[in-house]
Amino acid sequence: MAQKPAARKTNPSGGVLPQVLWKKTGGSYLLTNDAGHYAWLKEKDFAAITAGRLAETGPLFAELASKGFIRDRLDFNDLAAKWKKKNAYLNYGPGLHILVLTLRCNHKCLYCQSAAAGLGAAYTDMSLATARKSVDFALNSPAMGITLEFQGGEPLLNWKALKGTVEYARKKAKTRGKDLKLALVSNFSLMDAEKAGFLLANEISICTSLDGPKDLHNKNRIFTGGNSHGETLKWLKYFQKKHAAQSPDYRVFKPGALLTVSKYSLSRHREIIDEYARAGLEDIFIRPLAPIGYARNLWDTIGYEAKDFAVFYLKSLDYILKLNRQGVVIREKTAAMMLDKIINFQDPGYLDARCPCGAAIGQIAYNYNGDLYTCDEGRMVGWAGDDLFKIGNVFRDAYKKVMSNGVTRVCVVSSNLEAQPACARCAYKPYCGVCPVYNYATQGSLWGNMPSNDRCGLFKGIFETLFALLKKPGNAAILKRWAGK
Amino acid sequence: MKGRTKGTKAQRHRGTEAQRHKGTKEMVLDSGVYCAEAVRLAAFVFSDKAGIKVAPRGGTSTAVINGPDAERLAGEFMNEVLNQQCRLDLAKKNSKIAGIIVTRALLSAAGEKAKG
Amino acid sequence: MKKQEHEKNIVKVGLKDYDLDTVRYAAYAVSDAAYVFITPAGKGAVAVEFTPKHQPVTGHQSPVTGHRSPVTSHRSQAGNLARRFREELKDEKIRAAVFDANRDLREFMILKALSYDTAGAPPEQEDSGLTPEQEKELDALIAQVESEIKRESAGSGTKDPLGITRTWEEKYGAKTGRKKN
Repeated sequence: MAQKPAARKTNPSGGVLPQVLWKKTGGSYLLTNDAGHYAWLKEKDFAAITAGRLAETGPLFAELASKGFIRDRLDFNDLAAKWKKKNAYLNYGPGLHILVLTLRCNHKCLYCQSAAAGLGAAYTDMSLATARKSVDFALNSPAMGITLEFQGGEPLLNWKALKGTVEYARKKAKTRGKDLKLALVSNFSLMDAEKAGFLLANEISICTSLDGPKDLHNKNRIFTGGNSHGETLKWLKYFQKKHAAQSPDYRVFKPGALLTVSKYSLSRHREIIDEYARAGLEDIFIRPLAPIGYARNLWDTIGYEAKDFAVFYLKSLDYILKLNRQGVVIREKTAAMMLDKIINFQDPGYLDARCPCGAAIGQIAYNYNGDLYTCDEGRMVGWAGDDLFKIGNVFRDAYKKVMSNGVTRVCVVSSNLEAQPACARCAYKPYCGVCPVYNYATQGSLWGNMPSNDRCGLFKGIFETLFALLKKPGNAAILKRWAGK
Repeated sequence: MKGRTKGTKAQRHRGTEAQRHKGTKEMVLDSGVYCAEAVRLAAFVFSDKAGIKVAPRGGTSTAVINGPDAERLAGEFMNEVLNQQCRLDLAKKNSKIAGIIVTRALLSAAGEKAKG
Repeated sequence: MKKQEHEKNIVKVGLKDYDLDTVRYAAYAVSDAAYVFITPAGKGAVAVEFTPKHQPVTGHQSPVTGHRSPVTSHRSQAGNLARRFREELKDEKIRAAVFDANRDLREFMILKALSYDTAGAPPEQEDSGLTPEQEKELDALIAQVESEIKRESAGSGTKDPLGITRTWEEKYGAKTGRKKN
């Protein structure tokens, strides 16, 4: 069958290829494009398409054309729509506002990056006046959907400010016409029925940390006042029951849990996932440790290399998929968010993996004293003595001044993947993002140096795993369900 | 990276590195390969990691690195110079698209756009 | 601490075959595993020197599996790097060509995407969502692409040979494929 070039030779590659990215994996090539489409090619087909020799007949050409990989078959409207949908955040301001109600904490977690202070450090409690000012500042964001997330330390230690802020924020958001969501991240050790009742009645979604079975969780998360693991499970069950029962007066959200992977976690993926399944949690968010803030000092004890996390992640994903095939409802959150981009061309709101990153323009961290930071990681760097990522103060600086601050701008510029030499060429670029705070903390510059950047290595490992899993029909069906949830 | 021992007369020609004495490494970078700006940017990044001095010299830049593990540091420095150079190379080709995205992101965050 | 003897590897690259940007990027791509140093090597060539980064003497032990990986000789590490570098050179040459050929088109597409109206209707002139400068840029890019199409049409006698301004449906309808010439 005679083959002819698909188009005139308008470029040395044969004129067929529009802008594409690719990665060779084994004997195959993964192709991706700006819109977020992907395709797998055998080596001979990749050679053919780059030389402009790919036959126009046949299903491969049709598939590539429908996905925007053939230059003279581009459906501009479709590609533009997908690009816009996947990058919808470019049209909004910061939606996530993290209020650090106190730095005091009653736990001493090994990996604490929030740099918790002791229980006596009451000066690190956010005053109600500061909290209200922070709410006012947050509501200046042009984003219609605003999430206020209460963190710490342990935010329940500053219950008075939390309660006052919730009431104030609900009132103000209504007058400003904002869709307000409230969230709490707590270790649950100070939870009681009264507090729980208030949180539920005010539709605050609740999240905690669960690092695995009791010995592992308590080893990572040291609580001298009791059994951290026990308290966590007790209140998870409580909120799960409330969610199941619901209420006629308010919505009750499912409680969630986060996993922080330390060196002690790396050989225990099955036990950790089983613990989540036993606790009735349908999402497990496998988060790697980052050597930022005080965690850097402990890296030799609790840290690990990117390749070790990649092995842990792959094994975890394999096991979670196995449980799914057995009918257990559980999904990995990072995977679900990445799959939302890959399969649905959606913006999942994952501030760590977008271009530019969410520093300042997607999220703001409000320290107890009203100081504003690009993100919580930037605040941790500040607490460790370097205020590079401070972008203002709620009492002194207007919203627009903070958004045009030099630090805001340089974080946006340095996390733009189009300006990163490795990222601009990477097949995972349509789905990925860099973190200037991580780059600065580990490599000494906001730009970083991607070939030797561990975070880049971690993300590549995750993408490699997901794309490999998507190739197998059995896994693909499960993964697509995760993205559709 | 091997170099000359202390007391020997160092050779100065493009592209060679010479070791002055233990804990110091001198690199001579050709300006046709690594522009002066890339070398300067890399030196700035490195200023927290090691003692480093850079100076233009004709068609080259000379970088002197001081530190207990000067050979490894010199290797890391060269990689950082290459990182900065590649970034500058990319900016020449891609600055328009990069600028479009940054502009849109910053304007939206500041609320300058009419609709979201 | 035992000092490691690192096996260096030097690859000479002719600048007629690959331009300097391509050489630099290919070297950068392997800088995860090596220290890289590029120097002129006579007229029209550069020498790329790879020094593998320090590897532990006894091999790495994974905290996950406990498995200790074998010691790789420095010579084989250097050899692998040279091979990787050569593969990157070929890859980057194609990539650079594709990028150069599509730069204007890509700028047009991103501007179009930023102004795309998700309701399906074309954006109104008064409120396209773009600043005046961005609108001017988009108009200029569209004009440039259109003039290129017109030039090609004038030469070949056919209209819009690349079909750039036509959608998939306009060109191909529901299910029929293109006829072979």
